[in-house]
Amino acid sequence: MNAGFIGLGIMGRAMSARLIDGGHELYVHSHKPAPKELTDKGARDCRSGREVASQAEVIITMVPDTPDVEEVLFGENGVASGLSPGKIFVDMSSISPIATKDFARRINRLGCEYLDAPVSGGDVGAREGTLTIMVGGGEKAFARVKPLFELMGKNVTLVGANGDGQTAKVANQIIVALTIEAVGEALLFASKAGADPAKVRQALMGGFASSRILEWHGERMIKRNFEPGGRIALHQKDLNNALTGARALNLSLPNTATCQELFNACAAHGGSAWDHSAMVRALEDLANYEIGSRERRQSTA
Amino acid sequence: MKIAFIGLGIMGRPMAGHLLDGGHELYLHDLKPVPQNLVEKGGQACRSNKEAAAQGEVIITMVPDTPDVEAAIFGPDGVAQGLAPGKTVVDMSSISPIATKDFARRINQLGCEYLDAPVSGGEVGAKQATLTIMVGGSEKTFARIKPLFELMGKNITLVGANGDGQTAKVANQIIVALTIEAVGEALLFASKAGADPAMVRKALMGGFASSRILEVHGERMINRTFDPGFRIELHQKDLNLALSGARALKMSLPNTATCQELFNACAAHGGAGWDHSAMVRALEDLANHEITSKERQKGAA
Repeated sequence: MNAGFIGLGIMGRAMSARLIDGGHELYVHSHKPAPKELTDKGARDCRSGREVASQAEVIITMVPDTPDVEEVLFGENGVASGLSPGKIFVDMSSISPIATKDFARRINRLGCEYLDAPVSGGDVGAREGTLTIMVGGGEKAFARVKPLFELMGKNVTLVGANGDGQTAKVANQIIVALTIEAVGEALLFASKAGADPAKVRQALMGGFASSRILEWHGERMIKRNFEPGGRIALHQKDLNNALTGARALNLSLPNTATCQELFNACAAHGGSAWDHSAMVRALEDLANYEIGSRERRQSTA
Repeated sequence: MKIAFIGLGIMGRPMAGHLLDGGHELYLHDLKPVPQNLVEKGGQACRSNKEAAAQGEVIITMVPDTPDVEAAIFGPDGVAQGLAPGKTVVDMSSISPIATKDFARRINQLGCEYLDAPVSGGEVGAKQATLTIMVGGSEKTFARIKPLFELMGKNITLVGANGDGQTAKVANQIIVALTIEAVGEALLFASKAGADPAMVRKALMGGFASSRILEVHGERMINRTFDPGFRIELHQKDLNLALSGARALKMSLPNTATCQELFNACAAHGGAGWDHSAMVRALEDLANHEITSKERQKGAA
């Protein structure tokens, strides 16, 4: 298939490589020249989104935020100006569900299909082709693009109509942030009460409180390993989509709001680029106490 | 082994049954008459906690709250009056970690050992002997009692010294409450944004947001099945331990506080006896929207 890929950051680059390795002809564009690793594999570097759209049947974007998608689509020499009826535009960025519905309508008017297909799983998932992909759009368009999704991810679900993929991603990010915060409160409580947080995590792992977040991020909090991973700045963007959405929908999300404030406090302390599990640092500031495992202290002593 | 078992409610009754089935000699006491099925298995009903403690080498308590443990052990005709040096008191109730440390000291002064060993897993776990047991106390005492724990539970961890078992249980209940809230906010957001919460739950199940709580309680929220399970009033007691502990320890648990307020709001609407997953109802009240699944409605139609 002639496919297009716009946005070649850490995520987009790894996803593009998997499409080329899967045997597809890839037309790429980014605000920088295409990485050599992709052109070496045969990717064609295009000068604009418009050029990509005129060459490819399916055009994928993977860019940071809502305004970036709007620019790629409807900006000067954007994708929309290169589209012709029957083509499919697939936005794999994580952006506003409300804006997505508007973008989809405008693309449909050009006789083209739109899929929102945000992912979770980070750069590791992108490299290994194990991303979770949450899709909104028509069943027919989904079926046509599914073979491409399957080269990039493992859990691929058509959630519903346009916007519903982005809504699922927002829901995902709400749960991830709030569970990080839950694990943070629990381990900090245990630690300040004098228990060994590593032992507490271990005791809880088999039970009803267990989750991949207790496993991975609980360990990060105990070992003080806050190298990203998923950066706080990106999770702030996701929670902003949740809270802006909540305001527009007349909906109260009390703990999402608190978690965003805790992320903001991290950012105030230079933590925009910390891993999102470092949200616990804002709780630690409030408690004037840092999670410390006795085992860890003994081993470093 | 001769074991005194005090507190034969929903949890204590099956736990005592497993000990009898395991070949132990049981001396039983409860505020109510001892259940007939335990007597039929050979359990001996005692007239007081003092009498039970005088007969048993190991005295297990399984009662609702901190004052109940204090009354059972130190009240008139209590356990403490029946103790002799070398015996072991094992409190399997979920109570205050701070009070536990005090109880343990007072028991130690009588020449006896103390273990705090609260459980999670509920009535089902008690019946199936699959409880998670979080233990605080000395290694030697833990080793002696472990065969008894293994008749009642599966994930058995010596977390640390006295009080640390209760601290781990509080940490467990913090994570469970806050993850229920997280799943509630996420599914409510998805539902009010127009996506099908059942599809969103399905899309998220494979990824980083997945947990047993998304699986079990997410489904309860979608299917509207709020029969307990684990009652809100019990979880309120646990979060009260977290919040009064936090106050005593000088630390801030912002989302635990919010979750307790949401439980309080449920109780105000007659929900003290609802399953704790019904916390979502307080969020639904705030949003003036109830989670609804299109798929589920199709199935019902």
